[in-house]
Amino acid sequence: MSDAVLRAASLRKTYPSGDRVLAVLTGVDLTVAAGESVSIRGESGSGKSTLLNILAGLDRPDAGELFWAAEAAHRLSLGDLTARRGRFLGMVFQSYYLIPELDAYGNVLMAARMVGGVGATERARAAALLQRVGLDERAGHLPSQLSGGERQRVAVARALMNRPHVILADEPTGNLDERTGDEVIGLLLEVCAEEQAALVLVTHNPAHAKKTARSLLLHAGRFA
Amino acid sequence: MPWPIYLALKQLFPSGRRLPFFTIISILGVGLGVALMLVSTSVMGGFGHQIKRMIIDTQGEVQIRGRQPMETSAAVESAIAGVPAVAASAPYAQGVVMVEYEHRPAFPVIQGFDLARIRKVVPLERYLTAGSFDDLDDDSVILSSLLASSLGVSVGDKVSLYTPLMLERMKRNEVLLPREARVAGIFRIGHQQLDSSTVLCSLRLMQDLYGLRQLVHGYNVRLQPDADPDAAAAALNRALPPVASALTWFEANADFQAVLSFERNMIFFLLTFIIVVAAFSITSSLLVTVVRKTREIGLLGAMGGGARSVAACFCCQGLFIGVGGTVAGLGLGFLLLHYRNAAVHFIASFTMGQEVFVKFYQFSDLPAHTAPRDVVIIVVFSLIAATLAGLIPAWRAAKLKPVEALRSE
Repeated sequence: MSDAVLRAASLRKTYPSGDRVLAVLTGVDLTVAAGESVSIRGESGSGKSTLLNILAGLDRPDAGELFWAAEAAHRLSLGDLTARRGRFLGMVFQSYYLIPELDAYGNVLMAARMVGGVGATERARAAALLQRVGLDERAGHLPSQLSGGERQRVAVARALMNRPHVILADEPTGNLDERTGDEVIGLLLEVCAEEQAALVLVTHNPAHAKKTARSLLLHAGRFA
Repeated sequence: MPWPIYLALKQLFPSGRRLPFFTIISILGVGLGVALMLVSTSVMGGFGHQIKRMIIDTQGEVQIRGRQPMETSAAVESAIAGVPAVAASAPYAQGVVMVEYEHRPAFPVIQGFDLARIRKVVPLERYLTAGSFDDLDDDSVILSSLLASSLGVSVGDKVSLYTPLMLERMKRNEVLLPREARVAGIFRIGHQQLDSSTVLCSLRLMQDLYGLRQLVHGYNVRLQPDADPDAAAAALNRALPPVASALTWFEANADFQAVLSFERNMIFFLLTFIIVVAAFSITSSLLVTVVRKTREIGLLGAMGGGARSVAACFCCQGLFIGVGGTVAGLGLGFLLLHYRNAAVHFIASFTMGQEVFVKFYQFSDLPAHTAPRDVVIIVVFSLIAATLAGLIPAWRAAKLKPVEALRSE
């Protein structure tokens, strides 16, 4: 698949659990095209977060291949993956993980700081992204002054700051009420489409999964 | 600005929020250490500086000492005058006498000077608090302030002088007649030892009291303004006949200077531990921060922050605390030095009283002399200590794997 932006083949991952070895991923194959949205559902402990961590290059598979665009990410060291991660993908977490000492604008701009310098272009983009997620008037507020939904919107803007190829979202509505969660998922899908970023969404919510172009179910360590 | 520096600054000094307690305490710890080191080294330096000034003001920069009482011969005089660094010189003789006034005795050191030449060597007029140097002749003396006070003597009173020579005569059953001398003036240098037991007189009176005839014990030498005392003393030693040798003011008081230097270095060494303790406190607080911010550290990794950059962020926090603490400490230290005398007198008024302070600590005012070299050493030491304090937390933070850090509770 020539326009695949993210490709995983036969991913396997085990964890030691006492005397036993727990097989979390038993052969996952996944291909995500540029700009495509894919949701992954599964029971708790089915390996959704483990898969997302491996796709993000935060964890290594025991076996299998991972490609970030054309680059064989499984052959890169963790240090090399870290160096490429900031530009290649953005992440949205359930608990937002905003830096409490920085305001909303500072948090969004932080993504650009970590991959290079911050100039007028980056500042303008951070402001535009905050405006796009409806927080232009809250740009100067600290995370502690924002609601859960607002914090997650900031996290979405931060994930898109470096124009990544892929957004990996790990249960981004897990800490939000239903209505706010719906709004955040709607916003995430919209801005990913506008930015032409592929979206891999891990969620428990079938309604949210239905909104993506493709929905996958992870069961017994592989896609059903 | 690289992100580790930016984030370190934001974590220590967040905009729109109150300064974190950790930042305040850490900066205060380093600041107090720096201030105490600055004050103590400056005060010790002040003692050294004041003692140097007093020695030079009473002896000159160089002192020529005869191995035996020596004559003021033309050979010696021309040898001294032949050294270009010498501005002026004056012969002296000194010993110990008993001074009595209305049955009150004292046993001060007496120094006799050539009155015509001494003014070009030592500025004794500067220290006169009563009387006049012009009134000093072969029948009068100038007393130090505490000595005059203990004897109850004022300018114009007559005191009796007894010398060891008189004791020799007494042994031979000769009649013991003291030498009467009028008090022509009273001086106060500011050093308790000199102010409590010194008598100044003319060289001729001193030679009479000790039976020295025309002999002297040596010369006090004043150098040209920018002359090097060591080089001048060496030149004088080459020029002088073997009966005399020249010593710089430092060499003449070498033991005292060595003790002073030792005390100063020991105090400096001991006070460095305040900064070391403050550095441990920074380490402890930053370690707590690493634990508290584990998920944030994981986030930084997820956003593309490498382990070295994460470590640099914590090292920078140590460095910035060091910079803040050093600046605050220097400010506090110089402020304390500026108001040191008011502070010391205030404390003395509650504990011992001003007179006791002067009596036991020898100086009426607390001297201070801040050497730029000492300031540089203090600044460098505190910055290094604070930066090193961030190393262990930095190492712990760098070791965290983002995937595990993000999962931590």
